Amino acid sequence: MKLMRILVLSCGVVLAISGAVPLLVHILADTKPSIQINFDNTGPRQIEDTTQKAIVRDYSSAWQAMNTALANNNTAPLNQNFVGFALERLTHRVKDQQSTGVKTRLVDHGHKVEAIFYSKDGSAIQLRDIATIETQVLDGDTVIHSDQTQIQYWAVMTSTEDRWKVRVLESSPQ
Amino acid sequence: MRKPMLIVLIAVACWLVPDSARAAELHVPENAIAGQPVSIAVSGEGDAVFYLVGPGQVIKRNVKLGNDVQIKGEELRTAGRWIAIVRSGGSPQSKVFWVKPAQPENLSFLARPSRVPVNQRDAISGTVFVFDKFNNWVLQPTPINFSLSVNGIGISRTVTSRNGVAWIETSSAPREGAAQFVASVGTTSVRRVVQQVASQPCNLRIHLAQHTQDRIIVETDPVRDCTGNAVPDGTIVTFIQTDRRGKSTVDARIKKGIARAELPASDNAMISVAAGDALGNELHVGGGR
Repeated sequence: MKLMRILVLSCGVVLAISGAVPLLVHILADTKPSIQINFDNTGPRQIEDTTQKAIVRDYSSAWQAMNTALANNNTAPLNQNFVGFALERLTHRVKDQQSTGVKTRLVDHGHKVEAIFYSKDGSAIQLRDIATIETQVLDGDTVIHSDQTQIQYWAVMTSTEDRWKVRVLESSPQ
Repeated sequence: MRKPMLIVLIAVACWLVPDSARAAELHVPENAIAGQPVSIAVSGEGDAVFYLVGPGQVIKRNVKLGNDVQIKGEELRTAGRWIAIVRSGGSPQSKVFWVKPAQPENLSFLARPSRVPVNQRDAISGTVFVFDKFNNWVLQPTPINFSLSVNGIGISRTVTSRNGVAWIETSSAPREGAAQFVASVGTTSVRRVVQQVASQPCNLRIHLAQHTQDRIIVETDPVRDCTGNAVPDGTIVTFIQTDRRGKSTVDARIKKGIARAELPASDNAMISVAAGDALGNELHVGGGR
């Protein structure tokens, strides 16, 4: 009888964990990632305080949008946060994912970013980002690849009507 | 009897497990370049599904293990981190590899401002982001040539890009006109036009054009900036007349290069002129005229 209880209890715990883990992953994907940006070594122009705050807010928002788009195969979140080559590239990837049944889950563990270039006219900012990311590739609901590593990203953000948007986003070996 | 059998079974299992793990092994390219075909060796036997997940592209296809998977150049256009995955009967195998950008061929050129007064120090800036023909950002140092000229006369400078960005700052030319601001790499060049316009008026001179019982008409000589460019029509010139009745002010716009003002008649007035930062000569009308 005692063995039966333990067995039922164990099954309950396993069920709870199996339900909670995907939920937690979804919650993480929909949360703004932690972004730390160092603006001390930017040139040739110093970045104004209000612009610094806007860059942190909008770069973080862009990553959240990308994670959501790639996890749900939905291009809608991208338009608010990306323009130009970055938007084209991510939109193409989401469409490829839709047609192949693949999804990508990015569990974002934070970004250490350095602003390295701010154009003289104040219209473009270049960032170098060391992101700690867990990448899971899924075919349907089956995880077919998972890795966690630090990836170096290079980004250009440009000012638009109401916010800064990511115009270029490219990863490169560190 | 059971024990030796068990030992034999465990030994066989140990021998088979690594072999099955090797069933679908991936060999990814070490120096892949965007737009160039690559082959990915997938060892093993039987059928499998092959995936290639890149920054802007995802490929999924059925493959036969043991054959190389051929990836066309057009399927590998985006530079960055790629993941190759093969999924057969056992657990999926995957490998990460990097694709580098191709040769620099595209420039994204930001030139500011579009209109600038002549002879202004460091008034024009140009920023270039370097891309390959697939719009991958080329982070390798690349020499970029900048030139700024009006009617073929101007400056040319080569700047090597740093982390994919090259920029210059330069002064506007002494002569007005549409300056051709060109950034080029290899055979690719991108042109922007910076309209250089006359600067502030300089050396303002006025003279009496008409003096009747009712009115005084004064006008400027052709209004030019300090380097001799005609100040554009529409620029405001202020005429001030001071006499015993007080001060009269007229703001007149330059028309056909000259500003003209009609002031109240006076038998003893001092008329002065100003435009922007420039003050002109003073004119004494009446009295000892």
